[in-house]
Amino acid sequence: MSMVEITLALKKIAPPFAKMATFVITACVLAIAQSPTQIHLPQVNLPEVHLDATGLTPRPIEELTGTTIARHYALAWRDLTVALESGQAEGLGEEFVGFAKDRLTKRITEQNQAGMHVRIVDRGHHLKAVFYSTDGSAMQLLDQAQLEIQTFDGNKLLDTQNVPHKYMVLMTPGADRWYVRDLEEVSDKPF
Amino acid sequence: MKRTAHSHFARCKRLTGLILLCVLPVWASAAELHVPAVVEAGQAFSIPLKDAGSGQATFYLVGPDHVMKRTVAFGSDLQIQSSDLRTAGRYQVILCDSSSCTSAIFEVKAAQPAHLSFFLHPSRVPVSTRDSIDATAFVFDQYFNLILTPAAVDFRITPASGAGFSREVSTRRGVAWMRMDSTPHEGRVQVTAALGSMEEARVIQQVAAEACGLRMKAVASGSMVTLETDPVRDCSGNALPDGTVVSFTKVDKAGKSTVDTPIKKGIARVQFSLDGRALISVACGVVLGNEVAVNGKL
Repeated sequence: MSMVEITLALKKIAPPFAKMATFVITACVLAIAQSPTQIHLPQVNLPEVHLDATGLTPRPIEELTGTTIARHYALAWRDLTVALESGQAEGLGEEFVGFAKDRLTKRITEQNQAGMHVRIVDRGHHLKAVFYSTDGSAMQLLDQAQLEIQTFDGNKLLDTQNVPHKYMVLMTPGADRWYVRDLEEVSDKPF
Repeated sequence: MKRTAHSHFARCKRLTGLILLCVLPVWASAAELHVPAVVEAGQAFSIPLKDAGSGQATFYLVGPDHVMKRTVAFGSDLQIQSSDLRTAGRYQVILCDSSSCTSAIFEVKAAQPAHLSFFLHPSRVPVSTRDSIDATAFVFDQYFNLILTPAAVDFRITPASGAGFSREVSTRRGVAWMRMDSTPHEGRVQVTAALGSMEEARVIQQVAAEACGLRMKAVASGSMVTLETDPVRDCSGNALPDGTVVSFTKVDKAGKSTVDTPIKKGIARVQFSLDGRALISVACGVVLGNEVAVNGKL
């Protein structure tokens, strides 16, 4: 049964539902039409990142640093989402270093070997800065992320997880940005 | 009219079937997966599949740095190796038979402390300065997972002279840090972070603080005057290092002139030409020393 047939059937049964369905299908078609065909990387928008740095110790955060961290954390999640879906780990180096980069690269390599990929629908992050070293060389943050994670084997959807996720993040400054050095998903229990 | 309604009903059935066809593989269970809620990193465990029936299924393990896919046979337990669980975080296991998939989540927590990552800041610090030294230690397990449960890190301070001391700090979310004053004597101070049998040492160099009681004397010789400081020391008696700049300023009828000169062998020396009466002052950093008036009168 083609999409056109479905749409026509819906139109006859329930006009309001048909309108909505038509809208959804049109939106999907438009999204497909806008996606790049030559570069096989999914188009992912920057997720929303809200940073709360109240009561940060032992050093308070400067406003510019806070803005930079939020921006680069959003870029990191965009790159991570693209890499997990496309199986291309090259872009991770822009925002990840150290353990975080090594682990994600390994995961993507093994994911490709297994013929799998992961799609993340990112609905935003609430970052809470919990430690900022006095010399400014490291910042630890807790991230409450709203993610829908779909796991595929080829084109077969294996599983969808749609629960809040909590991450422990370690970011360190580089020449012109803050890098994600460690990204570890943790349980929701208090520490 | 009846025919149209019947036709709509048939289409509805087809649509419902289509929707169910899409939804069922996700909701239905191939076999229930029993996994522990929390596993320590590097610890193997098994998933019972003995009572799950017969035949084969595809098993998937998706972790923070590890993805595995393999065919498993029902009727025997599924072994998850220790090497599959080295990185802390959330793991997903999925089991799919020919018709459906089932999944479960578990968490891998860091193992026992095995590595300390230790930062001491700054590398040089003036003596007797309040809250001037910061020590930060991150505690990791053998797989370099940050250990989030509290652990006691002992910071041991060993100055070049005088008695050493230590301070115990509990980690919070894997990080222990402390701030302390520099000690009164210049020289090397070793700070060691210790946890169990692990030790990481770093060295900080304490240097003299600002000059204290800065004094100079003048020796006139014809139209020249030579100015020389006493040995330049801080308030704790530590000699300021050679190279520290001392400024001599002369004010006479020609105006004001300043000469900056580095300390050599503990003292600073400079020579001015004189043209009548002059007032000369000495300073080192923010510290002002004495003043001398010259023109035969000191």
